[in-house]
Amino acid sequence: MKILVAVKQVAALDEDFEIRADGRDVEADFLIRDLNEWDDFSVEEAVKIKEASADPVEVVVASVGPDDVDESLRKCLAKGADRALRVWDAAIEGSDSIAIARVLAAIARREAPDMLFAGVQSSDQSFASTGIAAAGLLGWPHAAVVSALTYAPGAKSAVFRRELEGGLLHEVEIQCPAVLTIQLGINTPRYASLRSIKQAAAKPIEVLSLADIALGAGDVGEAGSLSRVRRMYIPDKGRAQLIEGDAAQQAARLAEIIREFKGAQA
Amino acid sequence: MSRTDAVTRILFEAFSTVEVRLFYVLGYAAIAVFGYGVYVQIRKYRRGATLALEGGLWTRFGAMLGAVLSHRTIDRRDRAAGGAHRLIFYGFMLLFAGTATITLEYDILEPLFGIRFWHGEFYLVFSLILDIAGVALIAGLLYMMYRRGWMRLPKLDYARPDRAPGDPDFNRPQYRREDWAFLSILVIIAFTGYVLEASRLIWLQDRADVWDTRWWSPVGALFAEGLSALGLGPQGGGLLRHGLWWFHGLIALLLIALIPFTKVKHIFTAAASLMVRDPLASQRLPRVPESQEQVGAAKITDFNWKQLLNLDACTKCGRCHEACPARAVGAPLSPRDVILSLREFAKGALESGTLPAAAELDIHGKAPGQVAMETLWSCRTCMACVEICPVAVEHVPIIVQMRRKLVEDGAMDPLLTKTLQTIHKTGNSFGESKRKRGAWSKALPFAVKDARKEPVDVLWFVGDYASFDPRNQKVSQVFATLLREAGVDFGILYDGESNAGNDVRRVGEEGLYEVLAAANVSALSSASFKSIVTTDPHSFNTIRNEYPDFGGKYEIQHYTTLLKQLFAEGRLQVAQPLKYRVTFHDPCHLGRFNKGYEAPRELLKLLGCELVEMGRCRANSFCCGAGGGRIWIPDPVGAEKPAQNRIKEAAAIPGLEVYVVSCPKDLTMFEDAVKTTGNEGKFVVKELIELVREATAVRTEAAPA
Repeated sequence: MKILVAVKQVAALDEDFEIRADGRDVEADFLIRDLNEWDDFSVEEAVKIKEASADPVEVVVASVGPDDVDESLRKCLAKGADRALRVWDAAIEGSDSIAIARVLAAIARREAPDMLFAGVQSSDQSFASTGIAAAGLLGWPHAAVVSALTYAPGAKSAVFRRELEGGLLHEVEIQCPAVLTIQLGINTPRYASLRSIKQAAAKPIEVLSLADIALGAGDVGEAGSLSRVRRMYIPDKGRAQLIEGDAAQQAARLAEIIREFKGAQA
Repeated sequence: MSRTDAVTRILFEAFSTVEVRLFYVLGYAAIAVFGYGVYVQIRKYRRGATLALEGGLWTRFGAMLGAVLSHRTIDRRDRAAGGAHRLIFYGFMLLFAGTATITLEYDILEPLFGIRFWHGEFYLVFSLILDIAGVALIAGLLYMMYRRGWMRLPKLDYARPDRAPGDPDFNRPQYRREDWAFLSILVIIAFTGYVLEASRLIWLQDRADVWDTRWWSPVGALFAEGLSALGLGPQGGGLLRHGLWWFHGLIALLLIALIPFTKVKHIFTAAASLMVRDPLASQRLPRVPESQEQVGAAKITDFNWKQLLNLDACTKCGRCHEACPARAVGAPLSPRDVILSLREFAKGALESGTLPAAAELDIHGKAPGQVAMETLWSCRTCMACVEICPVAVEHVPIIVQMRRKLVEDGAMDPLLTKTLQTIHKTGNSFGESKRKRGAWSKALPFAVKDARKEPVDVLWFVGDYASFDPRNQKVSQVFATLLREAGVDFGILYDGESNAGNDVRRVGEEGLYEVLAAANVSALSSASFKSIVTTDPHSFNTIRNEYPDFGGKYEIQHYTTLLKQLFAEGRLQVAQPLKYRVTFHDPCHLGRFNKGYEAPRELLKLLGCELVEMGRCRANSFCCGAGGGRIWIPDPVGAEKPAQNRIKEAAAIPGLEVYVVSCPKDLTMFEDAVKTTGNEGKFVVKELIELVREATAVRTEAAPA
């Protein structure tokens, strides 16, 4: 039995960041890298299923990215994943979420897991599409934003719950293998102590090239993407102001502002 | 036979050979049981992990002997108990020595070499000394009984804060029974000794060598007068002596046989524990060897032999129970009960012939003998327990080693988990960008040197709180100004500095501590400086005592000694004495941990402040509650916090104006506690640095602001 968990090393902004010269991303020096918050939960879910299972279950984490991603993969290994895969090739630079999904689907074909987990979204790009797009490419059933899961590895189906608007819960049975994107709060992710992260260095991180997963340079990067980032920028500051004075003065000032605003629109 | 030869201790007189042989059989049996018990105990300790002790055996022996003979550690904070124990100890030792010398002569020297010394004046003097020793012993024991029975000292109450009434190990009445049995058996032995002596005198009153020298045993002679007055004659005396001889002898042999199995063993375990004491037990926590697969104590056998011995050394005196700040505010922790729980666990698991399966050695949990995680997380690692323990039990490393296991399992407060992740990611507990570490210095009218870029005399290790907490940043700015005005060539590491790791280590996150220590040691070794000063006692402790284990040996001082030195050299001067009525809170890591009691007090005196000490000061200072990573764990809602307990103590000082602290965490904790205890407006909390500034800065204040 095998569960494949797709994880991403995300970037968070440091204080006083600068935009890259080409204007399409933040300068890498100003980014702090860490495992995507959602992936903490999907890895935990897979490890919990493994620990609860009487039959042996292998939890494999996979990521797409350069070698500094190993740090996040080791964290996953420290939390109980058995091995890790990382795919990287310079050609992957500039991929959109669909191209990344193509890589992920190729990994899934190679690994043939019983279940594929991904986070609902990544905290830096927030496309919320990689996992679901991979399901589309694989032709597997899928569900997004899973907040509770009952699954015995090897079973033909799994039952999960999703939270809907208005406090409704949605309980769904899905055929396996399937792709589920895992929501925050589905479990309590464990703490990976530094010691366990260090010890996880003994577990293998396999680095794969595009050729290893039967993809070509044209399948990824901007060539394999259907969208491209045009620019990344900080919008002009909004103009908030505190209106002071008594109620009548405040109302008068408010009316004045509304008039100004309407005038500007016209 | 001359008179002096005849005057001697009456031993087996009038005993049949069978009786004498029976006594020897019983004596050897008692020694055999004792020997077996010692074997079982030693086997128990040897089932713990190995540990190589530093330092010479004789130095250790000398230190132990000094502590035992002087009773220095038992006197502390309870002179009456120390005095009574001294009476018991010396009384018992003399009586034991007396009995032992008789054996030496009767069973060894005389039969083998024909040497006799137990007669004549030597005997008479010894007889007098032993009679007095018996009085001392009984007096000490009776006082101890009075304490247990009538004084109702809270520290001698075995009810546990980490158990509920009704739990099988809630107040452990078996301890009470054992205490009373121990005291009673000793009183009975001593008392029957006198009656035995008296009946012997009456029995042999016709023998001049006995009767005429009877006042060399004054207590025995008094008893004899009394018994005579009651009508006891020589014949009755003989019978009574015969019966009591056996009673007294058997009970004494019983006591010897029981030593290794009862609290009596503290005679040996406490002395041994004092001998293996580590004076830096809490200041410098044990490293985890790289090769060691498992981190922390999960099983009883994960403790080393010395720690297992520590468990048996505890005499339940309750001083740690009394000193513990967590216990004082009702948290489910008493250091005493951690030790006693584990002792019971070790007794159950490690005294049998075969070692139980690993699963039965798990010390974490809520069953009797186990320690609950709530208990372990209640500890502030403030060292109050270790510091006061009269028998050198080292609670803090035991608790931290158990926490290491909890951290490994992730069994901790979610906020603490978050903080540890934050520290790993950013190098500070505030989750701020590394780049902002030196940002507080931007508000100064001068630039603070970057010690990574240019050499400085004094490297100031700022620490997390003083770098990022807005209130403490103000203190940092004042301290920088003081150093500049005193002409000190100083600098900081800016973003090269990371959290020093003192509290991370005390949480039990050893791996993260290793990363932080390595990062700081590497940053420090890339800078050029003569010595380090720090405004943070926590950083002070770990850099001073723990970094040497990580290759970082530096000369470091807390700012209080540096400021004192600057005053002494005239580089800082008091422009206007402050005249405040103040009290001073000793930070755990400056005071108890590193004995920095004097410098802050001398500074306050220099500034012209009137220092009024709180009851709990210096070594007995009361933790603010922030230590051991507790600053990152929320305290239970509604319950009193240690800082509030402390502020209430200070508030009782009439006319108090300033509550002086010298630790950034103290400033945070106590300013909060002054508000939450409704003392706002009555007195203020100030950093000593701020008072120094106030007293020295009149010059600049004269200029228009």
